[in-house]
Formats: sequence, C-alpha cells, structure tokens
Amino acid sequence: MVGLSSEEALAHDEVVMDDVDSDVEESDSEDDSGEEAQATPSDKAIYNKEAILEKLEDIAWPKNVDWRHKLTIEHDQGEKVDVNDDLARELAFYTQALDGTRQAFEKLQSMKVRFLRPTDYYAEMVKTDVHMHKIKGRLLSEKRRIEEAEERKKAREAKKIAKEVQAEKNKQRAKEKKEQIESVKKWRKQRQQGGFAKGNDDVPDLNFEGEEGFKQSKKKRPGVSPGDRSGGLAKRGKEGKNRRSRDAKFGHGGRKGLKKQNTADTTNDFRSFNKGGESQNKKRKRS
Amino acid sequence: MAKKRKRTDAPAKAAVAEKPDDSAPERPPRTLFGFKEPAPDAEPASEAAGSAAAAPFRNKEKVLITCSRRITYRYRHLMQDILSLLPHAKKDSKVESKQSKGNALNELLELRSCSSCLFFECRKQKDLYLWMVKSPGGPSVKFLVNAVHTMEELKLTGNHLKGSRPLLTFSTNFDEQPHWMLVKEMITQIFATPKDHRKVKPFHDHVFAFSIVDGHVWFRNYQISVPHNEIDKVDKGGLDKMTLIEVGPRFCLNPIKIFGGSFGGPTWYENPFYISPNQIRALEKRQKAGKYAKKVKAKVKRKMHEMENTLEPDEFAELWKGE
Repeated sequence: MVGLSSEEALAHDEVVMDDVDSDVEESDSEDDSGEEAQATPSDKAIYNKEAILEKLEDIAWPKNVDWRHKLTIEHDQGEKVDVNDDLARELAFYTQALDGTRQAFEKLQSMKVRFLRPTDYYAEMVKTDVHMHKIKGRLLSEKRRIEEAEERKKAREAKKIAKEVQAEKNKQRAKEKKEQIESVKKWRKQRQQGGFAKGNDDVPDLNFEGEEGFKQSKKKRPGVSPGDRSGGLAKRGKEGKNRRSRDAKFGHGGRKGLKKQNTADTTNDFRSFNKGGESQNKKRKRS
Repeated sequence: MAKKRKRTDAPAKAAVAEKPDDSAPERPPRTLFGFKEPAPDAEPASEAAGSAAAAPFRNKEKVLITCSRRITYRYRHLMQDILSLLPHAKKDSKVESKQSKGNALNELLELRSCSSCLFFECRKQKDLYLWMVKSPGGPSVKFLVNAVHTMEELKLTGNHLKGSRPLLTFSTNFDEQPHWMLVKEMITQIFATPKDHRKVKPFHDHVFAFSIVDGHVWFRNYQISVPHNEIDKVDKGGLDKMTLIEVGPRFCLNPIKIFGGSFGGPTWYENPFYISPNQIRALEKRQKAGKYAKKVKAKVKRKMHEMENTLEPDEFAELWKGE
C-alpha cells in the first residue's frame, strides 16, 4: 500500500518536473521570436566586414570635411577599464570627456572663433529652473545632514571625554582622603609611642579613629523618602521572612501553563465528578 | 561632396537620374579595410572638377525619434531627454511594434524627410531596444539598452543650454573593428548637431562621451564649466581649472545586430556575446524550478528511507488504553 503510494508520488513528481521544463521551453520559444541569442561566443555569428566597410564608405561624410562640422575627439583609455568597478569606470569616462574637451577648446581657440557662452547670455536650458531648484534643495539638505552628523559625533566624543575626566577627579579625591586618614593615624601612633596618654593630650580629639568618624549620620537617610518605615530596605529588594516563606509555598513567577495542563493522573482522577449522583438523589427525595 | 550625399540616396531612387553624376568621381580601388587613396589631395581635386562640388559641405541631418507603444515611463523619459539634446530631431507618435513596423517606419521617415532615426522599442515593459537607422539606404543597428538613468535624477547636477552643439569624444577602441567604425560614424552623424541649424546656439557648453567598455557603448553627457571672461578665449590656466559636471542621461548600448538596409535587409553583423534578457530570465526561472524539484526529490527519498527501515511496534504503546 505504502509502496504503491510512494510510486505514485514519484510519478507525480516527474510529471511536475516535466511541466516546469516544458513551461520554460515554451516561454523561451515565445521570447525568442525576435532575436536568436547565443549563450557563448559562437562561431556562427555573422560578420560581413567587407559589406560593413563598403556601407561605411557610402554613408560617411567626406574625409576633408571641416572639423567644426563633426566636433569629434578621440581619446585613448589606456589600459582596460573594469566594468564592475563603478568608480573606475566613471573616472575613465570623465577623464575621456575632460581630455577631449581640453583638446577641442585648444583647437577652437586656435581657430579664433567665439565658442564660450558670455555671462550675460540667457536662454532656455535643458533642465528647467524648477528642476534645478529641486537639485539645489537636495544638495543643501545633504550638506546639512552631513554637518549635523559631524556635530553629533563631536558631541558624543566630548561627552565621553567629560565622563573620563569626572571619573579621574573622583578617583583623585578618594585617594587624597585615604592618604589624609593614613597620615593622621600614623601621627597618632607616633604620639602614643612617644609616651602620651590617650585622650588627655593638648591636641583635641578629632575622633578620626575607625569608621565612626566618617560614617554619615543616620538622620539624613539619603535616598529614602520620609514616609518609608523600612529605611529604604524594601526598595533594595530585601523581603520579609513571611513573604519569602509564602513565595516558597505558593510560588512566585514562572510559567503557569505547565501547572494547569492535564496529565494522565489528572484525567484519571474522577473525585470531582460525583455531584451528578447527589442531584439524582435529591430529585428522588423530592419525588 | 554633395555628390557623395546624392550617391547614398541613389539606390533608393533606382539611380536613374543620377547616372551622369555618378560617373564623374571615380571610386578608388577597394581594399579589405577601406579604400586605397591614390593621393591625399586627389579627392578634392576630382570634386573641384565637378560643377556642384564648389558648394561647401552642408550637414542636413534630421533625426526622427519615436518609440513603440507600451513604452514605460522611464524609457519614455530617456527618449525625451535625448530629444532635448538633439535640436535637429523630430518626434513622432508611437508606433505599434509589429512585424511590419519596419515598413511603417520607413514610410514615416520618408514622410517626415528624415535622414536617420532613433527608434526606442520596449518589449514586455522591461527591455528597451534602440534602433539606430540611416535612411533610406541603411544601415541599421539594433542595440539593447541597459543601465538607464534619465536627466530627472537629482544626482546629476549639471545643466546646459538647450540647443548648444555638443563636443563628441570617442574612445580609441571605436577604430579597431569595422562594426565599431560603422557605429561611430552613425553616432557622429546622429548626435552631432548640424553646424548651421536654425535652432542651434553658437556656444559649446557640453560634451558627450562615448566609450566602449566590455563590448558595450557607454554614453555620458557632461556640462563644461571653465573660467572665462572673453567668449573666444579661455582664461590663462583655465583649461587646467576646467571641471565637468554630469548632466545626464546615462545609458549603455549593447549591439545586437547590424542590418544592411533601413529597418531590415541582410544581416552583416551579429554580436556573438549577446544573450537576450529573455534567456537570462528563463535561466533564473529554471534555477528556481530546480530548487523545487530538489525539495520534492528529498521528500521522496525520505519516504523511501522510512519505508525501508520501519520502526518496530512499541510494546508499551497500548499500556494506557485500557484504563
């Protein structure tokens, strides 16, 4: 049974593939109604050089025609230009046009003819003023965009530097503080060793010893709102014992889906389905 | 010189009336690469002998620009750009792209008394073919047009006078092969604006660049910006300061065939490297179809494998059914 079906499937596949192929071929034959194209450089391609040269001679302008009729300039491109490299290609075209123009202008200058447009000569242009205005707008917006991007970049860098400077300053301050404390401690030790009794010296007790001297007073309670009775402990995520135990018991967070799914056990559990019998009993009682 | 022009017309008019004229200038012996010139000044001498040769050469080129129906807007705009670049061009209404379009176009050319034609043929709303035709004697070149950018694009920031005559620059590899020489001559005649045309402005402020790269003719149009105070002379050192600004349009022509007549005739050249865009698309399609076929094959293979190596029935499978 299965084998049969698979064979059918195979046959069907072949049919499908055939269909595709024939489709493509058909489209080919339709497409190529106008031109036959060669996939590879074929030898069959016609090239009748004599006829072409004869025709060229036929249609060509006389050889001694004035250059000003043609205005053509030839330019040697040098080595081969890579077509896929856009920049190189465009540069080749540009240099060709530029060199050609230079040669042509030299020729025209030597002919002593007027060929440059005077500055006060206004006439219809190829592109309309509206279009040129659009181009100008685009150029300006592009320029603005570049400037803005640069400014943003500069600001970002300045910010980064400022951050570093601030961090350096803080570090320096902490270091100075530490050094001061150290020096005071040292001084005290020296004094004690020198035989002075603790507390009753002429220097006032600065109470720098230990952490006590630098602890901030509790009254200030920095970063804690005045109504907070936990003293900011609640905000730090320290929960009470009760909360923790309840969470452990009932769960907190996590997926619910798994808990709510039926399993083999729950489906086989009929404990909650004994209500129907009771109702029947009630009815019987009534009747 | 006028004689020479007449001779090109002669075959069309069955060359009856021109016979006495034709006999006058003897054609030099022909070689493989052109004509053997007897002496550099022999031709002018023979022309001077003729009565009409005293008249100077006049370029009376008129170009008919038209397109096929169902052309897309991008290609239509390209056509209009070219029309605005050629003041000696006439525009005509769209032509139905049928088998008989050649005859219709030839008639149209005769009616409008044009000596050459640029016909933009759009197929399948995708591919643009350009026919570059000399009328009435031919030849005609058919190109596939690629990489089209119109003047509307805002990246092309240049601008120049409408109707000023362009300078034409060609890369030297146009002179390497006969078919490129023919293409160059046709481009020169069609794209060079006649010198004393009535719509022409007497200044040169743009330059066309035609170059052959990778077997294609690439076209660019640049505005010339050069510092100058006088109109017949560039400032000192101005040639070095000269810059070009691109005006557009841009396109790239891939030659397909060269025919002997106008819109037809014997085929003289076929591009051996040309692959039609239809074939390229078909190839892509086939590759995609191959992808699907592979998928189907893999499915079948998997099925066969599963069939060959069937799993043994699980002995615990029915364990929970009874309860």
